[in-house]
Amino acid sequence: MMKKLVSCVLAASFALPGLATAANVKIGVINSMTGPEAPIGENLTNGIKLAQEDLKKKGINVDLVWEDDTGKPQIAMSAMEKLATRDNVAGVVGPYTSACSNAVAKLAEKYKVPLLVPAAAKEEITRQGFKWVFRMNAPADQYAASLIDGALAMGKPKTVAFIYENTDFGTSTTKTAKEYVAKKGIHVVADEPYSKGSPDYRSTLTKIKSKNPDLVFMVSYVADAILLMRQAKEVGLKPQAFLGGGAGFTTVQFAKEREISNNVFSCTQWTEDVNWPGARDFFKRYKAKFGKEPTYHAACAYESMIIMAETAAKSAGNRDKTRTALKAGKWSGIMGDVKFEDYAGFTNQNNHQMLVQQLQNGSYETVFPTKFATKKPIFPFTGWK
Amino acid sequence: MIVFLQSLISGVLIGGVYALIGIGLTIIFGVMRVINFAHGEILMLGMYLTWNLFTRLGIDPYVSVLICIPVMFVFGGLLQKLFINRMLGALPQNQILLTIGLGLIMSNTMMLIYTSDYQILTTSYSSSSFSLGGISISEPLAISFLITAAITAVLYWFLMKTDTGQAIRATAQDREAAQLMGINVQWMSILAFGMGSALAATAGALISPTYYIFPQVGGTFTLKAFVITVLGGMGSIVGATLGGIIIGVAESMSAVYISSGWKDVVVYVLFLLVLLFKPSGLMGKSRM
Repeated sequence: MMKKLVSCVLAASFALPGLATAANVKIGVINSMTGPEAPIGENLTNGIKLAQEDLKKKGINVDLVWEDDTGKPQIAMSAMEKLATRDNVAGVVGPYTSACSNAVAKLAEKYKVPLLVPAAAKEEITRQGFKWVFRMNAPADQYAASLIDGALAMGKPKTVAFIYENTDFGTSTTKTAKEYVAKKGIHVVADEPYSKGSPDYRSTLTKIKSKNPDLVFMVSYVADAILLMRQAKEVGLKPQAFLGGGAGFTTVQFAKEREISNNVFSCTQWTEDVNWPGARDFFKRYKAKFGKEPTYHAACAYESMIIMAETAAKSAGNRDKTRTALKAGKWSGIMGDVKFEDYAGFTNQNNHQMLVQQLQNGSYETVFPTKFATKKPIFPFTGWK
Repeated sequence: MIVFLQSLISGVLIGGVYALIGIGLTIIFGVMRVINFAHGEILMLGMYLTWNLFTRLGIDPYVSVLICIPVMFVFGGLLQKLFINRMLGALPQNQILLTIGLGLIMSNTMMLIYTSDYQILTTSYSSSSFSLGGISISEPLAISFLITAAITAVLYWFLMKTDTGQAIRATAQDREAAQLMGINVQWMSILAFGMGSALAATAGALISPTYYIFPQVGGTFTLKAFVITVLGGMGSIVGATLGGIIIGVAESMSAVYISSGWKDVVVYVLFLLVLLFKPSGLMGKSRM
């Protein structure tokens, strides 16, 4: 009996070489666990917890050091200092928000700690030539580009109308979008910033309708997204496609308003139905464990932790070796192919493929790029019911 | 031309609801000479009341007006009796601070109960419209406008023809003389505040099917109500109605012909111009 057991263990250890040496690794996590960003931060936390379980199955015991930045850059920075100098972690995953990530990136460079940013979109984070900062998700400029590319693949739009909130988020996203359509030869016929919280967009939408654009590109949070689409229906705006630049257009609340949300396109970093290895399985296990559907933030955080922990474990916790291995490595998991490259002014940026999704009968379906698609896009817009 | 007519009609329809908010404020000011800076928050309470009635009991937002009016009338009356009455002779800034404070308590209480999330009320007609000669008219806005018109008409009749209405007007004209004539001015103040609150809450109920609801929504509407009332002439119901519609149309037109980011600028420039050339407001002379 004893012999059998020993031989089993021996066989196992031969079959999985290297496991015995890569047992323990210490990784820091900075995330918005409390504060105004906490509802999304929760997704990252859960994704990382799931990653920790999966790593354990692979024989990697990850010792996580959790730090809550409460959504404030200065707290994120002191958390990073603590992780780098006192806790001596092999690498850090996080933070969630763009502002925190950008602040922490400078410290990662200073203390020479590998930092893997899972989901912050601000372009600048990986555009400063930092050697120790890596990013999993696609930066903000990809949002507009992927939507416009999707629209161009589906039809031949010639004109586009922009309507967006006149905040930092709305104007910056629209700015990159405008530059991109100019490159693609699409003419901008309307450019309408609005101030958030206005009860009536009908007149602006009527003006857009009179210009008869092929595409309507909108950037809004959820309440305005619903209001805009409701009033677009009222005034009978009917372009070839409605493009929602992320945010409000990718929420469950928006999807629930079937009457007005049907056939609207939006873009995301990850969906449950994409055919990347393990994506659907991740969705199921996440839902079973936490009782909620994961957002793309959860998937980004999960994959970031897997990559960081595996690489750090292989490098025996050595920061310099971990950085080199991250830079040289290549992965394929629930976020598709991951590789940290230098391109278009970015350093150590995963050239992540954004997905275009469309709301079809109340559920988000991946429709573009074609190789990841699960459903055919409905194009042009079929009109209001 | 279509664009012009469309924005004109949208402006008039939304202006009708603005007018209702302004009328409430103007009645309160007329009778008590108190500017109610909690007016927007009372409107917000009306929105939450409507939302609760709709999501919990399935009562249509327009039907819930029938519940909103009496409930908020009593609420406003209590506010007057418990707080504002004690401050009637006080310095104007103290009255302003009192109403601002009451507003803060209301919005923060609602935040405690419902969190600061946006609530969206979706009815079967929330995004319906009908077409009139190529111009689409929002169904919920059109219904709101009709209800507003009916309420304004009833209110006008009440103030002009009934004894109580005349007593309220008398109090507004001259508080002391009215008291000498045997009018219970305290009671008239309670009535006026109750009516003002009921009107604000009704406006809240009427816009809830097309707008979103959150605890801080009041601030925008307090400011709007203030501009409408001053533009029309403090204390004048006709002025408030006119003011509401002017603001609605100005917003709508400037969104089309300038930019929707600039519409507030247009509204305030208009407001300043009226103040410069007719400081008492458009209907400034008449007191109801």
